[in-house]
Amino acid sequence: MATDTAVATPEADESHAHHPPHLQHHFVSSEQQFDSAKLGMWLFLITEILLFSGMFVAYTVYRAWHPEAFTEASATLDWVLGGVNTLVLLGSSFTVALSIHFAQKDDRMKAFWNLIATLALAGVFMVIKYFEWTAKFEHGVFPAGFFDPHGGYYETLASIPYTGQFFSIYFVMTGIHGLHVLIGMGVIGWIAWRTFRGHFSSEYYTPIEITGLYWHLVDIIWIFLFPLLYLV
Amino acid sequence: MAHSDGHADHHIIPFKTLANVFGALVVLTVLTVAVAQVDLGPLEIPVALGIAIAKSALVVMFFMALKYDKPVNSMVFTVGTVFVVVFLVFTLFDTAFRGDIGNVGVQTIEEEEAELERLREREPDPEQLRVTPSDYGQDGTGTGSEDMNDQ
Repeated sequence: MATDTAVATPEADESHAHHPPHLQHHFVSSEQQFDSAKLGMWLFLITEILLFSGMFVAYTVYRAWHPEAFTEASATLDWVLGGVNTLVLLGSSFTVALSIHFAQKDDRMKAFWNLIATLALAGVFMVIKYFEWTAKFEHGVFPAGFFDPHGGYYETLASIPYTGQFFSIYFVMTGIHGLHVLIGMGVIGWIAWRTFRGHFSSEYYTPIEITGLYWHLVDIIWIFLFPLLYLV
Repeated sequence: MAHSDGHADHHIIPFKTLANVFGALVVLTVLTVAVAQVDLGPLEIPVALGIAIAKSALVVMFFMALKYDKPVNSMVFTVGTVFVVVFLVFTLFDTAFRGDIGNVGVQTIEEEEAELERLREREPDPEQLRVTPSDYGQDGTGTGSEDMNDQ
């Protein structure tokens, strides 16, 4: 890696003629390195999908057992806030896709600003999430054994059995999703910084690509969470 | 194109395509909210899930670029998704049908006593169990046997 002018063997002439600094020595070419990184990311994303699928299965099982409790409890969630958050996350997916688009076109500053926009939208998502959660906490709507609803409409929830189950699932699912958003914000911030410093180009933009894949997955999870928790 | 050229041969998704996909996603989000305001009865969950699946398909194909990507990545994604479906369906085979077969007997003393009481109530009146003339004692009017036929 240190020696860019590595000895070119006659048969590997082509692949060594251009030996960029980002290419690790155990890969034959940038192309192979890029494909390996992407395949590895897809495998990781599958483990993420399976992690969330456990919670989706729990949701399905408990909803099938207590449909009335789920309908009543879900009515206390504000679909306007949930809907706005859906649009915010979709927008952030769009901007992160754009940042890859501009990185591929060697437009460093546009890639950087799109990453910053993604970061800002993720921040908006978390702020809305914060207000939603605290509004529930104020009425004693906590997960599991701490479930003690009071005040206004929440009073009726206390009389319906199993509504606590819905909120346990709600807090765990949106909580773990929110944790993924926070981790994503950290990674996007770091990648944005590196983009600004000019670490990436159309030759090498794998970290932006991989971060984008992760961020889209976080978006997809929310695409399912929104109708299941807020709408139906 | 020679593959030593690094990323030069990567598909760059045009801005217009990305913008159109984003537009479609916004439209589908508005649609799913609008549909939720209407009472669709049992179709509510399938419709909401259908729209969510359409939205994620757009994200996976265009934003995540699986449409233009190496087939191996699509395979990883598809196999993973199939296992999610297996997980969900096989769990529901258990939980959705619990109690239907009635293979679980009474489990508490209270339940057992209630069960005994229920059986005792179903016990017919001894009057109605008389069949032979000797069951009727002396008079033998035969009304008992008519009762039996009514049963």
